[in-house]
Amino acid sequence: MFADLRQSIADWIFRTRHPEAPPVTLVQRRIFILPTRQGYLFGLVLLVLLLASINYSLSLGFLLTFLLAAMGAVAMLHTWRNLAHLKLRPGRCDPVFAGDTVRFRVVIESPSRERFAVAIRRRGEPPAFVDVRAHEPAIASLAVPAPRRGRLACGRLEIFTRYPVGLFHAWSYFDFGLSAIVYPRPDPAAGLPPPQTLAGDDEGIPIAGDEDFALLRGYRPGDPPRQIAWKALARGDDLLTKEFQATASAELWLDWIDARAPDPEARLSVLAHWVIEVERLGQSYGLRLPGTAIAPGRGDAHRARCLEALALHGVEDGP
Amino acid sequence: MWLLAAMAFVVAPHVLRLPEWVGVFFVLVVAWRAWIAWRAARTPPRWLVLALTLGAVVATFLAYGRIMGRDAGTTLLVLMAALKLLEMKTSREIELAIHLGFVLVMTNFLFSQTIPFGIYMLACVWLFVATLVGHQRGAGRTPTVRERLAPAGMLLLQAVPLMLVFFILFPRVQGPLWALPQDARAGLSGLSDSMTPGNISKLIQSEATAFRVQFDGEIPPYAVLYWRGPVLWIFDGRTWRVPEFSIAGSQEYSRAERPVRYAVTVEPHGKHWLFSLDVPGTLPRGAGIRHDLQLRSIRPVDSRIRYEMTSYLDYRYGEKLPSAFRGLALSFDERRNPKTVALGRRWAAEAASPVEVVNRALQFFNTQYTYTLEPPILASDDPYDEFLFETKRGFCEHYAGSFALLMRAAGIPARIVTGYQGGEVNPLNRELLVRQADAHAWVEVWLEGRGWVRLDPTSVVAPNRIDAGINAALGPIGVIPSLIAADRLRVLAALRFAWEALDSQWNQWVLGYNVERQRQFLSSLGLEIANWKDLALWLTIATLAVGGFVGLGLVLRDLPVRRDPAVLAWNRYCAKLAAAGLARAPHEGPLDFLARVESLRPAIAPEAREITERYVRARYGDGLSKRENRELLGLVRAFAPAGALRGRRAA
Repeated sequence: MFADLRQSIADWIFRTRHPEAPPVTLVQRRIFILPTRQGYLFGLVLLVLLLASINYSLSLGFLLTFLLAAMGAVAMLHTWRNLAHLKLRPGRCDPVFAGDTVRFRVVIESPSRERFAVAIRRRGEPPAFVDVRAHEPAIASLAVPAPRRGRLACGRLEIFTRYPVGLFHAWSYFDFGLSAIVYPRPDPAAGLPPPQTLAGDDEGIPIAGDEDFALLRGYRPGDPPRQIAWKALARGDDLLTKEFQATASAELWLDWIDARAPDPEARLSVLAHWVIEVERLGQSYGLRLPGTAIAPGRGDAHRARCLEALALHGVEDGP
Repeated sequence: MWLLAAMAFVVAPHVLRLPEWVGVFFVLVVAWRAWIAWRAARTPPRWLVLALTLGAVVATFLAYGRIMGRDAGTTLLVLMAALKLLEMKTSREIELAIHLGFVLVMTNFLFSQTIPFGIYMLACVWLFVATLVGHQRGAGRTPTVRERLAPAGMLLLQAVPLMLVFFILFPRVQGPLWALPQDARAGLSGLSDSMTPGNISKLIQSEATAFRVQFDGEIPPYAVLYWRGPVLWIFDGRTWRVPEFSIAGSQEYSRAERPVRYAVTVEPHGKHWLFSLDVPGTLPRGAGIRHDLQLRSIRPVDSRIRYEMTSYLDYRYGEKLPSAFRGLALSFDERRNPKTVALGRRWAAEAASPVEVVNRALQFFNTQYTYTLEPPILASDDPYDEFLFETKRGFCEHYAGSFALLMRAAGIPARIVTGYQGGEVNPLNRELLVRQADAHAWVEVWLEGRGWVRLDPTSVVAPNRIDAGINAALGPIGVIPSLIAADRLRVLAALRFAWEALDSQWNQWVLGYNVERQRQFLSSLGLEIANWKDLALWLTIATLAVGGFVGLGLVLRDLPVRRDPAVLAWNRYCAKLAAAGLARAPHEGPLDFLARVESLRPAIAPEAREITERYVRARYGDGLSKRENRELLGLVRAFAPAGALRGRRAA
């Protein structure tokens, strides 16, 4: 009940916040602290103990009551300290297929002491706890189910802690505008793309080993590791990438029109499956969607580009 | 499991005090819970726990006839704590159980508040807080013992200053706020308002402290330390009693010049009387005196209280005896103890004066009687006959009782005074400790022209009892073996005195810290506290000061580290060069920059090299000492690239 109340008050107070540029440091004024329900109950227990001490004139009772009360006050400070001056940065956030779980990662760094049981959560979802050692970035990873394709915005996150004794809840909000791409779920029943899309050639899809090695060029970020000329690197040359010349006949267009399916989402699923399968075979392929086309290519970067296009097809692409 | 261990520790002292079935129940339930935790077995169904709970309430009610009150309430709490452990699953229930644990610590204090017990309970609190800490760590890997105990200990340690502030300044209220349950003070020992042969000798077995006395000045001789308690007038042939009615005392007594000043700290005994020597000169607050010099507190002595007194040891009082009192002091049941009565009457007939009767009676006791702590039981309807003429072995109440009866039979007004005699002086703090074992009964007789005179027949039978205390009177077989054994060994005796001195301080300053003490203590600090509002004000001030101190200590440790002085010096160096037209590019490292400076401005090269090398050593090497930092700053201050340029141009 208290948690709900606090949540709604917090929502009201902090209703407008724009995403901030990382890193975020949890400075003093960003951290809020209130007793937990357990804390209120503790207060009640203290009151009972105080009354009993007065009534029975128990000096040790007074000492106990005051010790616990002072402990509570000190604990408040410790709880606050457990959060103060933490530095937050967004972590890696890999795309997933619809139906899987997105992992939003937040890197937490402590400039001073070790921090315990620091938690990150999205509103209404179970928190992810992490211990943060001094000067050693810790990664809190939030699992969020991604039921539909598109862009899954993480939204505002709460970082909180109740350490050491759970009587107080110290928290802060931050929003990096994190989002994750959710690819359409591949449709395993879709099989391979129809052969007629092969541009006037009957040979079928060539397999990976048949391609002709064309040239070596300088490494560009994003080149798949298996195309790196490791031997050249071993000789002491710079990082080079082997470029293959795909035969014209092997050029494959994965077309929206060809993906026969009852509705657009199912089509996207079919296309997603094709992208994965064709990429696995090592075939060069292009993607044609209503309004967009991606020139044929290959490799992990290309695959990711195609899948992203499928994920965001027809989706408002706002932050 | 931590909580189980903590709970077991806190309940253990209760188990020894409460009925056996409570302990058995608790141990069984905890064992069951431990088994569940160990084997990951299923917790019992809800209905079973509910049934057990109801059973516990019913059993408590059957055992005590109620469910409130100290013993019954504690029993119920212990049982509930056990059941709470049993059904504990969620984290909420764990935290609830810990809070229950804190309350159980408090209930322990209802029974005992000694130093060792306090330390034991502090350990229990520590365990509970450690359990809370461990519970909060929950989500990650299981914390080690150290990771639980260390933060918990730190929390409690940091809480101590605030605790002390509150303890000293929190406005104390004279309890109780509501009527204490009947058994709140059960087990308090002390004198009663009646005396039957045998009841004081029971008290004598007790080593418990009755009260402590701090004398202002010299301690009077042992033999005059008669601490007056209840005065017994009414006699029914067996039992002596305090009269029901009460008459305020008159101050009609003549007294000598020098009073004895002392402060008494009396342990709670649940009755009204206070103890003082002979004739009181001044009365403590909240107390009155009866006509028979019995000092009585207005409230029952339910907590340890301290009062200051003056007494006159050299006095005469009650020289005029009103006839009503005279009648009361002479009355006895003619049909009981006929032999004793006959003896008294024969003495009266044979003697010329009451003084002669008194002397004869003392003589009588001196010749034939033995002082013993284990007198034969007097079962007949004429107990004093049985004692005087058959058993002839008795304790102070036998002597006082039979002596008073003899006097009354002889027509001399007599009454019994019970109280304590003597005490033990602790050489460390010059404090007199009076134990229950020092309980005593003596006689006062009224003599024409002299008033009430104290006579102690026991002193005739066993003079040691009065001169040196109970242990001496009883010889080597002794009353209190542990005490005697301790006395045999000097070191042990010294330790015992030290411990008692500590215990006395504990009693006075910690346990006896009440409204009165608080005012006294604060005024000794120079704070005159008029009412609770002043107190609340001071409490707020002190809390803010101490809390702020502790808090700042914690918060300041976290503030970002102040910048390295070497960096400050370096920035200044760069700024000076920039002013001279040589700005360091953001990507330029110190050594690259130095190379550029050296090539462009050879005139300042040596200084620049010196500064840069020091800076590099401070930042990337093994650092600089404070002195080296100062030197670096001095170099930078003296560094004047613009001036050097001008100088070169001028040349």
